[in-house]
This record gives sequence, structure tokens and C-alpha cells, in this order.
Amino acid sequence: MDLQLSPQHLKFRDELRAWLKANIARPWREELRDPKQTEDSLIAVRRAWQRKLYTAGYLGMDWPPEWGGRGATEVEKSIFEAELALADAPPILNTLGIGLLGPALIHHGSEEQRRRFIPPMLDGSEIWCQGFSEPGAGSDLASLKTTATIDGDHFVLNGQKVWTTFGPWADWIFVLARTDSKDRYGGISFILTKLDTPGITVRPLRQITGESEFGEVFFENARVPKENLVGKIGEGWRIAMTVLAYERGAASLAYAVKYGRDIQLLADACKEHGRLNGAVREKIARLVVENEVMRANGLRTLANFADGKVPGPESSIEKIYWSEFDRRFRETALDVLGPGGQLLRHSPHARPDVDWAREFLWSRAGTIYSGSSEIQRNIIAKRVLNLPQDPR
Amino acid sequence: MKFDLSDDQSLLQSSTRDFFAKAFSLEKTRRVMEHEPRGFEKPAWRQIAEMGYPGLLVPEAAGGQGLGPVELAVVCEEAGRMCLPGPLFDVQLAAATLAAAGGQDALVRAICAGEKIVTIAWRNSPYAGEAKHTTHLAHGRVKGHKYFVPFAAAADALLVTTAEGLALVEGPFQVTPLETIDLAQRFGEVALDHPATLVGPLGLLGQTDLLAAVGAGATLLGIMARSLEITLGYLQTRETFKRAIGSFQVLQHRTADMLLKTESSRSAVYRAAWCLAANDPATALACATAKAYAGDAARLVCAEAIQMHGGIGFTWELDLHFYFKRAKTYEMHYGSTEAQLDRVLAAAGY
Repeated sequence: MDLQLSPQHLKFRDELRAWLKANIARPWREELRDPKQTEDSLIAVRRAWQRKLYTAGYLGMDWPPEWGGRGATEVEKSIFEAELALADAPPILNTLGIGLLGPALIHHGSEEQRRRFIPPMLDGSEIWCQGFSEPGAGSDLASLKTTATIDGDHFVLNGQKVWTTFGPWADWIFVLARTDSKDRYGGISFILTKLDTPGITVRPLRQITGESEFGEVFFENARVPKENLVGKIGEGWRIAMTVLAYERGAASLAYAVKYGRDIQLLADACKEHGRLNGAVREKIARLVVENEVMRANGLRTLANFADGKVPGPESSIEKIYWSEFDRRFRETALDVLGPGGQLLRHSPHARPDVDWAREFLWSRAGTIYSGSSEIQRNIIAKRVLNLPQDPR
Repeated sequence: MKFDLSDDQSLLQSSTRDFFAKAFSLEKTRRVMEHEPRGFEKPAWRQIAEMGYPGLLVPEAAGGQGLGPVELAVVCEEAGRMCLPGPLFDVQLAAATLAAAGGQDALVRAICAGEKIVTIAWRNSPYAGEAKHTTHLAHGRVKGHKYFVPFAAAADALLVTTAEGLALVEGPFQVTPLETIDLAQRFGEVALDHPATLVGPLGLLGQTDLLAAVGAGATLLGIMARSLEITLGYLQTRETFKRAIGSFQVLQHRTADMLLKTESSRSAVYRAAWCLAANDPATALACATAKAYAGDAARLVCAEAIQMHGGIGFTWELDLHFYFKRAKTYEMHYGSTEAQLDRVLAAAGY
């Protein structure tokens, strides 16, 4: 056992820390609190920040050198995430492009596709959204019905995608569409589609926070050039499954940093209000315990990465842990703060430290997206604990 | 970086597992619980001493194994898996404390050799918050009353917390047995009016508290890991409505939560052990976290194990209740959850 970062990783961390210190104009929390900011102007802040990270060589670190890579591993990527959280950096705008499509193109795309799509993806000039979920295909993604029929040198897309994160601001969407109605898995293809193509309509959906970070995308005879197919016809499912594996990583560490800061701010608020005693004290202590356990989970994953181990289905544990802890934490925060905890960002008396009301609402999302808690528990039961399948 | 155990630690793990499985079958533990008021058998203790476990944390020069918190966690996890009867963990803590204090070389050697049993008498009252007695050390004598003294009836000497410091008191003692839900974990009430030696300030127990948190956390980890294994076996084989009950999603999701709690405890316990071994700045927070979390987690996992077994799970005949009871005992002792939460807040600076 050794949970200490190696000298090489410490060096990486220290350089990154210094760079972040010099380059973050103001913490993301303060951007959010600025009454002059709108949803659109915040996007602009995130785009500019992403470009800075790209120029400094911090995006696509683990990709081949010609696509921005520098031989980094999951260890550096996890340290990177944790340091961004520690510095309270603006969230990277093109996370779906860089996190999912980038690896898909590197592993399955053509040379032309990589040359065309990767640079603008990294520098933030083209934002991507993910066209997977449909009104009738969520957890059971393979039941998707959006079709892509071949007509000359084009695909013709028809159907609807929903819960499309970044849909309202994205320039492009990577779509899973059905090219064969009979083959459940082998009839799905992975197609890159420009959102201003005639026949495509994007409609923002208002979320419970009041924001419209996701939307729905309608395809009505939208014609997409055949060269925008990634891999071969019918390989879409396989590609999607390999890229979804990239959503893993030692995310728990970054979450522990972020929640650790917010727990500290909550404790400070309670102290300020003369309430850090009795039941409130115990609640705060339990939050610290749960957060430290999450940090330990993250350190374990990080150490396993460094030790050359690739996480398997047990990474579902980390997803359930952080997302369900987030909910408990945000609920507790509102409990101990009293009615003021429910004030919206720009309301009089809203606290300047954390947007507690928004975080409370937002915490309902994590247990749904990227594989709901229920799906994660199915994965653990079947693929880690080897419990018998349900009879069909 | 590496989370896995080193080769030596893995060897310790497998040899300990084999030894405990051979020497401490659950049938034997049942016999001890039902018929052995001391809570362990002398020949078994000799075997434990031959393996070097009592002096695990004692430096080699002082007669021990010279191992550290990670190895303690490894052995405790295995002890938890077998619901090991007897005072091993209590003796390990006392030996480590005496060795750290110095000046008791012969006694420490005798403990390591399995010739003497010494445990720590910390509690001044049977109930939390109640201060029935204060034990004092004056004029070379300890006077007072201690409760929940681990394996008091078998102890040759006790390390006693007094208002004046940590005192070493030699037996024999007048012991009133305190029977608890866990019959393989014997406690006694001890009336003290004995000649005693001051070993050092109570601050000596600071390090002991950290070791206790790690070791108890690891024991709880072993308890829940084994309870989960037993339950998974049952879910695979027990049929109802013509299907294995493990195919019901309601049970699958609950077992997934049992695994989440067990593996999260593993992360927390071994992180704490490593921090303590490496003298990491996060040690105090990590140790208190591990014990507090594992205490809650083990109680929940063992309770789910009983529930999922149904009626048979509530019987004396099935071994499952050993784990449920041991989990509750370890949750309360070696720094209760409440005490650990206080330490967490102190370590986090609140």
C-alpha cells in the first residue's frame, strides 16, 4: 500500500496548481453570483476558459500527441479534475465532446474525421451534445427508434432525442440512429450531425432549477453526408459502449474536494448563525465522514490507476456514492440553514458563499444522468455480485 | 501509488486467514460462547501467541513483530471475518501502549510470548454520559471502579486510566462478569484497590486511540464482508416462487448497497491505516472517519443479512447473529461513533 503521489505526479500537480493560480480570473462561484451574468454570458466565460486550458496543453492530455496529447494517464487526468475543483475553476464547456466523442474518434473515427473535428472540439469553437436518449429509450438505450436511412451519399434522419445536455447551445450532435430495424444492437450507427442542418429543430427544456441546460432535438428528413458516419454501419452500439467507459475515472476525488469546500462553508455559516452545536454539529460531522469516505474511494481508484488497474463494473459504486451523497448533503444544508437556504441566487439575503437552493435542486440530477442509481445497482448485482438474472 | 497490499502483507493476510479458519471455526466459537465464561480457550491463546499476533505492533527488539497499522488492519479484518473469540485485539492495543511508554520490558515480552494477558480498562461507568466513579492513583495505589473491562477475568494485569495518568495494575482482580449480547466478547466490572505503577500520562493513549480506530474499523470491515458473502450464498440457493431469491430486484439492489458500504469501508479503513503508518497530516481525520463509517456500515450490512435470511436468520442455530452482535460491540467500543464524530470535527477544525 502506498497512497502518496509519486514525485512525477507531485510535480505535475504543483505545476498545474501554479498555472491555475495565475490563470483563473475569479472563482466560478463568484461568476455565478455576479448579477450581470446571464446563462449566455456564463457560456462565454466557460468557452474562454476552455480555450485557455487547451492553449496550455491541459485538454486531451491522454490522447496521441498529434491530437493534443502528452502521454498523460488516468492518474494525471484525475489529479487535473481534483485541482480544477480545488481552484474552483469554471466547468469545461465541451465536456461531452472531449469526454466522449474525442475518444470515439480516436479509437473508431477516420483520419479525416479526427482532423476535421478534434481541434475545434478542444479549443471550444464547436460545442457537442450527445444524441443518445429518446422519449422511449432511456435506461434501455438499445430500444431507440430514431432512424437513419441511406439515400445516395446521405443519411436521412428521422426521430427525436431528449434530455440532450448542452443541446440548446451546441453546434453539433453525435447521434445513435437505427440503420437496421431488425437488429437490436447491430442495427445502430454512430453519426455526426450539424445542428443547423435543415430538418433539425432544437427545443430547450426548462429544468427544475429554472435553467435550460438540456433540451430535445427533432429530426425530420434531416440529410447528413455519409462521411459523417463513425466506424462502420451497425457499429454504433459498440462505439457508444466503449466511449461510455470513458465517463469513469477517479471522479470521487474531485467531488470530495468540491463538497469538502462546501461543507466547510456550511459549517462556517452555522457558526456565524450561532448554530454549530447539538444536532447541527452531529449532522455536519456526518457530512464530513461521508465526504472523507468518498475521498478514500477516490484515492483507492487513483492508486489502482497508478498501479495499472483498469476499473470494471465496480466503478458503479463510486457513481452511486457521490450522487446519493450529493443529495443528502444538499438536503442537510437546507435543513440546518433554515428558510434562508431556499433563497434564489439574486434574492435579498441569499448567502454569498454557495447557491444552496440551486445545489439542492441540482442534486436531483446526478442520480438520474449517466446511468441512474437503479441501473448502477443492476450492474453491481449482476456483474459484480453475480446474482441471477431476472426471469423474463 | 498502490492500494493493494504488498507481497508481505498479502502473505500475512493469507496465512492469517488459513490459521483462523483452522484454529477458530465458528463451531468452536459457538462452544466458547455457550460454555467458556472467559470467552476463549487457553490452548487457542497459546496458538495465537505462537503466530506472534499479540506483539504485532511491538518493536522486534522488544519481543514483538515490529509491524504497523496496515498489518494490524489485515489481521483485524481476518479476525472480523471469523468473529474471532478472545482478547487478541485488546492485548495488541495494551502491548503497543506499554511498549510505547517504555520501562516495562519484561511484561511486554511476556505479553508477546502469550504468557500474560493485559487489557486496557478505560470506562468509569456502564452508561454513556454517566460518571459513576473516578479512579485515582495516589501513594502507589489505584483506587476506583472500572466497567466494561475487556476480558477482565482472564487479565493478569490491567492498564487503568486514572485522573493522574495511565497506571499499570497487577492482578488478581475482583471481577463481576458483565454479560452482553456478544458472548464471545467478555467484559467485567473491576473493583480496584491495588498497588500500581504510573506508566505515563493519559496522552499516551492518543496513539492507542488511533490504532484502536483502525483495528476496530478493520474488524468491522471483516464482519460485514463475511456477512455479505454468507448472504450472497443464501440468495443464490434459496428458492421461493420457483426462483432463486437473488433474482428479485428488490434484494439485488439492497445487496448492491451492502457491497457499496463494505467496499467504501475498505477504502476508508485502509486509507486510515496507511495514513497512520505514514504519519500523514490527514491521520486523525482518516482514522475517526474509518471507525465512524465502518460502525454504521457494519450494523446495516449485518442487519440486512439477517432480514434477507428470513426466519432462519433470527435463530440461535445460524451463525449469522455472531456477526450482528460483534458489529454492535465494535461499533460501541474502541471510540464509539459519537466519540469519533467529535474527533472528526476537531480534526476538521470546527
